[in-house]
Amino acid sequence: MKRKLPLQIIGYILLCILVIIIIFPIWVTFVTAFKTTEESTRNFFAFPTRLYLGNFTEVMSDSHFGDYVRNSLVITLASISIIAVMIPLVSYAIARNRKQNKYYAALYVLFIMSIFAPFQVLMVPLTQLCTKLHIMNQAGVIIIYSTFALGQGVFLFCGYYKSIPIELEEAAGLDGCTVLGTFFRIVYPLAKPMTVTVIILNTLWIWNDFLLPLLILNKSASMWTLPIYQYNFKSAYTFDYNLAFASFLFSIVPMIILYAFLQKYIIEGLTAGAVKS
Amino acid sequence: MGKAKKNKRERTFFLITIVPLMLYLLLFVVPVFMGINYSLTNWDGLSGKYRYIGLGNYINIFTNKRTVKSLLFTGKYTILLVLIVMVLAMLLTLALTYLVSKKLRTFYRSVFFFPAVLSLVTVGLTWNQIFYRVLPAIGEILHSDLLSKNILGSPKTAIWGILLVNIWQGTSIPFIMLLAGIQNIPADIYEAAKIDGANPFQLFCKITVPYMLPVINVAFVMVLKSGITVFDYIQAMTEGGPIQSTESASVLIYQLAFSDSKAGLATAYAVILLIIIAIVSALQMKISSKFEVGQV
Repeated sequence: MKRKLPLQIIGYILLCILVIIIIFPIWVTFVTAFKTTEESTRNFFAFPTRLYLGNFTEVMSDSHFGDYVRNSLVITLASISIIAVMIPLVSYAIARNRKQNKYYAALYVLFIMSIFAPFQVLMVPLTQLCTKLHIMNQAGVIIIYSTFALGQGVFLFCGYYKSIPIELEEAAGLDGCTVLGTFFRIVYPLAKPMTVTVIILNTLWIWNDFLLPLLILNKSASMWTLPIYQYNFKSAYTFDYNLAFASFLFSIVPMIILYAFLQKYIIEGLTAGAVKS
Repeated sequence: MGKAKKNKRERTFFLITIVPLMLYLLLFVVPVFMGINYSLTNWDGLSGKYRYIGLGNYINIFTNKRTVKSLLFTGKYTILLVLIVMVLAMLLTLALTYLVSKKLRTFYRSVFFFPAVLSLVTVGLTWNQIFYRVLPAIGEILHSDLLSKNILGSPKTAIWGILLVNIWQGTSIPFIMLLAGIQNIPADIYEAAKIDGANPFQLFCKITVPYMLPVINVAFVMVLKSGITVFDYIQAMTEGGPIQSTESASVLIYQLAFSDSKAGLATAYAVILLIIIAIVSALQMKISSKFEVGQV
């Protein structure tokens, strides 16, 4: 114990420094967003002397600002709605048949393969394909996200279904339940923890994603999502960085709120998602 | 179960898989083959015409100065990222497990994990402003030459700026994975080893690491993949500059495909990335499975 004490003190000091490093950019973003340029030139870190909201009104005065928020919300919500039903269902079909039936075994392997492919391989052909199919729009992005979520989702759900006793389903089958009836009445409710995990993983991915909307939605400002908007305004904000920080807050704050309420699920979900893939 | 009923069951199961399978074939399998096809052509990405040039693009990637430079940059970046992130994640895990009380552990865990929920672009853009405005301002107050220059402004130091941001955000998930892994090690094994007179270093090498190897393994591959395909941070901060000094493979692929009208070359480069990732992942799995067998 005696030898451990100095080590403990050093450890605590280092941990505190790391906490400061993590909080520092968030702090700077908050205080700068509420200050005028002159005020922040005087002192970057000081608390704003008054609540200046000019940066926010300026950011929101962009005629398309409502579009960016709406696009991000619509794309995320629509993709997640599809993912939350399609993936548990198709995984159920695969999990219950892949031992007896080669079709389902092959399907499993096929879906899993996408986990390893870097998106760069698909970048050019996918853009080409979307142009040809006339889906260079929100609908296209929603379908693509739903499809790309399959690999990890099927993997996680097939693992989870192993823990659900098959006797329950067989009993339901004897009582005259159809496949879909058994799934929606028994299996889906039991798999709720995994559904939550998959929803969290994909919400974070889709809400924060940059490259796919950059390829598909960059044509006109009315189609931009929040990350694309922030990226495209990089040069516009060269002179007024207080505006830039205010615009960053629009994507940071929803995440802070989400994290504050769902922290336990988010940490569990991301750990499960990472460990199991 | 009656035969008619069984048939109906089988039909339902089959019908369930149709839509996802069609989507997957159309939006994943077809594009992969299209990509491999393009990689063998001189297609510019715009016109309808192209000519097959065999492995010309692949040879080009290993002989062209710009692509070789970006391959070397990506390699250096990935090695540094993996090393620093893994060591840092392990140190944090050990510190939280052995130095900190349970209550504080939850607090630190929440703080260190938080960056993982933010968008990479937003994080990149935020740090870009910090490097550009905030740190030089601090440097002026402290009269420090090191801080008063924008780290992203010089070809020599830009890589470190990007790495710093990537580490700031990219350590959180490996860290949380290792933390979950270390908590799964049964405590009585440590007790037994301590009775046998093992010192903390021996405990770490002989128990902690072998037991955590599956988790370390997954975290390693994840960080590795994120390093090899790094794009968002660089696009948000330097766009490959200054003087192409931070042009990673992915950034160059994007440039070649959508600015330089060299879609054939770009897809060939992407296929090479795919092959590198596949080889490294397979190797890693093989090596670590050997170790895992060894410790049992």
